[in-house]
Amino acid sequence: MLTEFGKVFAFILTAVMFVLIAVFAAKLIRPARPTKEKLTTYECGENPEGSPWVKFNIRFYVVALIFLIFDVEVVMLIPWALVYQDSGMLGFLVGAIFLILLGLGMAYEWRKGDLEWARPKITPLVLTKTEPPEEKQEKELNLGE
Amino acid sequence: MNIDSIISDLIFIKPEIAIAATLVLIVLVDLISPKSKTALPYISLLGIAIAGVFVVQQFGTAEFAFKTSLSSGMFAADDFGSFFKIIVLLASVFVIFFSISSSEIKSVNDHLGEYYTLMFGMILGMFFMVSASDLVLIFISIELLSLSSYVLAGFVKNTVRSSEASLKYVIYGGVSSGIMLFGISLIYGLTGTTNLYEINSIIQIQSFPHITFLIATLFITVGLGFKISAAPFHFWTPDVYEGAPLPITAYLSVASKAAGFAVLIRFIKITFINSIDHHGNWELLNIIDWRSIIVLLSILSMTLGNFTALWQDNLKRMLAYSSIAQAGYMLLGIAVLSDQGLTATMIYFIVYLFMNLGAFFVVMLIANEIGSEDIEDYKGLGKTMPFLGVTLAFFLLSLAGIPPTAGFIGKVVLFIALVDANMIAVAVIALLNTVVSLYYYVRVLKNLYLVQVDEEKPVIKLSFANGFVIILLAAPILIFGVYFTPIVNFAKNSINILGF
Repeated sequence: MLTEFGKVFAFILTAVMFVLIAVFAAKLIRPARPTKEKLTTYECGENPEGSPWVKFNIRFYVVALIFLIFDVEVVMLIPWALVYQDSGMLGFLVGAIFLILLGLGMAYEWRKGDLEWARPKITPLVLTKTEPPEEKQEKELNLGE
Repeated sequence: MNIDSIISDLIFIKPEIAIAATLVLIVLVDLISPKSKTALPYISLLGIAIAGVFVVQQFGTAEFAFKTSLSSGMFAADDFGSFFKIIVLLASVFVIFFSISSSEIKSVNDHLGEYYTLMFGMILGMFFMVSASDLVLIFISIELLSLSSYVLAGFVKNTVRSSEASLKYVIYGGVSSGIMLFGISLIYGLTGTTNLYEINSIIQIQSFPHITFLIATLFITVGLGFKISAAPFHFWTPDVYEGAPLPITAYLSVASKAAGFAVLIRFIKITFINSIDHHGNWELLNIIDWRSIIVLLSILSMTLGNFTALWQDNLKRMLAYSSIAQAGYMLLGIAVLSDQGLTATMIYFIVYLFMNLGAFFVVMLIANEIGSEDIEDYKGLGKTMPFLGVTLAFFLLSLAGIPPTAGFIGKVVLFIALVDANMIAVAVIALLNTVVSLYYYVRVLKNLYLVQVDEEKPVIKLSFANGFVIILLAAPILIFGVYFTPIVNFAKNSINILGF
């Protein structure tokens, strides 16, 4: 007899085996005749330009974060949408407060300029060792020191 | 647990709602008028005052909010929680005063909105921590507190040591909360519940593999020990306290520590209690020898904190080690495992709030002017700034426990509790530690007053408001040092943890 966790484990095992068996079965059955053209990275039919391991703008990270927040929002709102009518106005308000708080987060990003791709000026960060208030300007040191 | 019962339970978390609403208000004000930053501290103070009114109203209630069954819930609204909420709120009020006049915080004036928002994030985390009676809520609220304080510790971005403090705090904090979460998962695996009351009723009738349970509990203790900076989980403390902006250092050393203690006490008492006799002694279940564990932690913290503080030249770093040692003293009160010991710890906390914040505030005011916290730079300052010198001396002597300051009363109550519980050897070690600590506190006084210096020392001008804040901090120490009945009664009346 399976315990409660045993059932979960069986489920996980099935999921993992499904992928592994599919990959290995495909490897056994398919013909393998690689050419140079076939092995290159697929870039819409063009020849690939340089390595994909390049520095890219940190702003993508912010966009990804915003996406994540709203993705989670959808996950939270679907179960709420199914049941909120049972609790009447209160149930609606609970969801509304949640949406307002998320909207506030969005407004914060917007107002602070994180949604604009070309930010007007970026002041480089200057690191100082100690912070005597009067001598701050003279004692500027770079990170490398 | 349906949505209507959740909504009807919201009346038990009115203080938390007030804090959360203030947080949102600060963000809104910062967004609507980004240029004017002067209103932010006053909005914060207003929010704290409203939350304070709700906390005071809540004294006397003993109810579960967000019930999971008839006799247990996620959140316990009781006097014990309200007591620590008062401590947190008082500390927040003073730290906001500190922030207004701190030159470090002024240097990041553009981000003042975020500063107060994150501070309210910390307060919200601590409020839920002190009332949480479910391991999941405990973990989430500790994370809310930690994440906000990681950012605040590195808030002055353009100094190396502030960034260093923040990074070290994140790394140590991440590891310790990971360990704690592992402990929680082990306990859940063993008992099938995360609610402290339900765990208690399960371990009273069932027996578990002893070693697994011991490891799980010790792992949770690691996470809590990190928050109260008890040795051997203290390694982050000196670096973070030295690097963080001074108001935040003061806040971490008082409020965050208070919340950590509240969780530790609640965890031990609710989860492992068997019965309480009519003298108020806690009879714990015979699973884990809590008294030995806490006495060990406490002696390690006291000795290590005090002896390392002897060699410190930076006053902030010295106060960091001193706060490790103070955590050691307060742990002694828990080690007694009785209502008397708990009262002693809570009395000590009231006193510690005023004296530690006071010491940090004076250090901050001096650092604002001379730009240094080195004890060497304090030579002769006692003559050029008589008021700051005298008050700093007063706060340090109170930390050392010299009468007629309240620090003395705190220590006396603690030692009486120890002796009553027949823990004479531990009391003697604690006394000897107090003697050691006297040396490094008095060393600052020697530099202030007894060293002759030829060079010209800066004259520090003290604004009226700052002087008033210092008096607000110093007066309770003097008053409670002589007339200590009110704090003793206050602590005695608020030891009621829900369910006992």
